[in-house]
Amino acid sequence: MTASKAASHRQGVTAARRCGESEGASSLSGSISDSISGSISASVGRSSARKIAVMSLLALIAAAAYMLVSVNPKFAAYAFKLRAPKLITILITAFAIGGATVVFQTVINNNIVTPCLLGMNALYTMVHTMIVFFFNTGSVAFANRNVSFAVDLVVMSFASMIIYGWLFKKTKYNVLYVLLVGTVLANFFGSMQSTMVRVMDPNEYDALLVTLVASFSKVNADIITFALALMAVVIFALRKELALLNVITLGKEQAINLGVDYDATIRRLLLGVTIFITIATALVGPISFLGLIIANLSRQLFKTYRHAYLIAGSALFGMIALVAGQTVVEHVFVYSVPVSVFVTVGGGVYFLFLLMRRKAV
Amino acid sequence: MRSDALTKIYDGKTVVDHISFEIPKGKVVSFIGPNGAGKSTVIGMLSRLIARDGGTAEFEGKDVAKWKSGELAKRLAILTQTNNIQMKLTVWELVAFGRFPYSGSHLTERDNQAVRQAIEYMELTDLTDSFIDELSGGQRQRAYIAMVIAQDTEYVLLDEPTNNLDIYHASNMMKIIRRLCDELGKTVILVLHEINYAAFYSDVICAFVDGKIAAFGSVKEVMNPTTLSAIYGVDFEMIEVNGKPLSIYY
Ligand SMILES: Nc1ncnc2c1ncn2[C@@H]1O[C@H](COP(=O)(O)OP(=O)(O)OP(=O)(O)O)[C@@H](O)[C@H]1O
Ligand SMILES: [Mg+2]
Repeated sequence: MTASKAASHRQGVTAARRCGESEGASSLSGSISDSISGSISASVGRSSARKIAVMSLLALIAAAAYMLVSVNPKFAAYAFKLRAPKLITILITAFAIGGATVVFQTVINNNIVTPCLLGMNALYTMVHTMIVFFFNTGSVAFANRNVSFAVDLVVMSFASMIIYGWLFKKTKYNVLYVLLVGTVLANFFGSMQSTMVRVMDPNEYDALLVTLVASFSKVNADIITFALALMAVVIFALRKELALLNVITLGKEQAINLGVDYDATIRRLLLGVTIFITIATALVGPISFLGLIIANLSRQLFKTYRHAYLIAGSALFGMIALVAGQTVVEHVFVYSVPVSVFVTVGGGVYFLFLLMRRKAV
Repeated sequence: MRSDALTKIYDGKTVVDHISFEIPKGKVVSFIGPNGAGKSTVIGMLSRLIARDGGTAEFEGKDVAKWKSGELAKRLAILTQTNNIQMKLTVWELVAFGRFPYSGSHLTERDNQAVRQAIEYMELTDLTDSFIDELSGGQRQRAYIAMVIAQDTEYVLLDEPTNNLDIYHASNMMKIIRRLCDELGKTVILVLHEINYAAFYSDVICAFVDGKIAAFGSVKEVMNPTTLSAIYGVDFEMIEVNGKPLSIYY
């Protein structure tokens, strides 16, 4: 009680200060102040667009650097052929994780939760292992990368809709419960996976490992086309739901008040998130903290509820960080430290920073 | 708008118990009653925010659950008791969301007009570009009400709209509610704890106790010491000001 009073008092003080600052404006008539507000929101739009332009440029520079650094002109074609699929994969991954995390955070109305914290990566690893376990590596479901990816996707979608749909409904979107249960689930999926691995034929395990420990240095480039096409289909299919993200920001009750068919919309968006996370994990393996970092950096930079900017910003942050990081890893550290290590260390520190700054979840 | 045997059960506890009433159109209807009586739950069920466990809730002769959500949003607006937003949002942007049922995210000149007017109604013009999370509790409450006003619906449901407001803004709020009804012909249903506001500004009062309707009728019918004492368990004295009954309690 006293705490909330203190908080509202504090807000009152800041508001009073704001009022003081804008005292000059308070005498303006309604219509003038309205045109001011119009121009302010227009200028916010313009400055956001400028930020996006600058970030795109940085991403382009990073991509050029990745393609061109220490290329022997004699073998340029060969080097490009080697590097291009990796670059494309990294860009797709950044977009998938950046977009999915922003959407996920809006759906659950909390900015320090990511799909990975709830064990979606672990679920993917388990599903993938399970398929080898039940069908073995010689089967079509595994041997062809695209088929195996499709099977993963279908199983993942069903499993996560059931598990997370249920989880969200049961906990009424209470973030603390969701996090707690999610952590337990992540552990559970992990143990299931290692149990299956233990009883597996060693040769099978070898074959599984090759597909399971994808990384930025060893991407799963076979499925690029499939992944790209699928992402396009998902975005097209969810275009109506994506347009509702701004309203969903207001919370469940306001969204329903404004005419959103809430539960169905959330379910569809969640399915989209699952598919995007599956794509990213299948391409480069699990990278736990990336989404958290880039989504929050984007929210800090743009300070808006407009998801077009938030999603684009998050994806661009991811592209810049990953492409630049991978360039450094390949040429400075000569592959000795994978980029995911930086992401995990940096992400851990950033996560703590977010927690400390917010004080309350 | 009417309900019949409306019921809500939480964990085996009946918090709204077979409530039946009909809200008269074009009137200001106040819900009063002690904490936990079920007022918010009833409002929630009337506006499809809360699923009911029994009975009916009809809007314009059609079950609220059967209405298309987007259609209902143009005819009925609801402001709940507590609201919080995680996102950086200015007052203008919040109020503009009230136009979403009509124009989505692309506001027309008419929408802008409605937003501007709602902001002026709630005397927030100076705060148009302030961020919601940097406002005082009362200012934020007014911003939310401005959003509901911008939504411009025939029916407006407000759960404790005077919550957090100082005496000036609270009485101003009540006058605005009166104007919404008298000038624009809207039906306003609101939850109030200040029973003198209810007495002074509403046409009909509905009193809830323990999930049941304890009294329903005109101000004169409900505002008498016996009825009020039975509802709140406090002694009341009544006086008359400007021909309206006012209660004194201490
Ligand atoms: N989500 C919920 N889960 C369980 N019980 C609930 C829930 N919401 C409300 N209740 C219970 O239902 C009863 C009625 O709650 P309601 O919010 O409708 O009361 P109210 O009349 O609006 O009270 P107040 O004046 O304090 O706002 C209370 O006893 C409350 O504890
Ligand atoms: Mg209430």
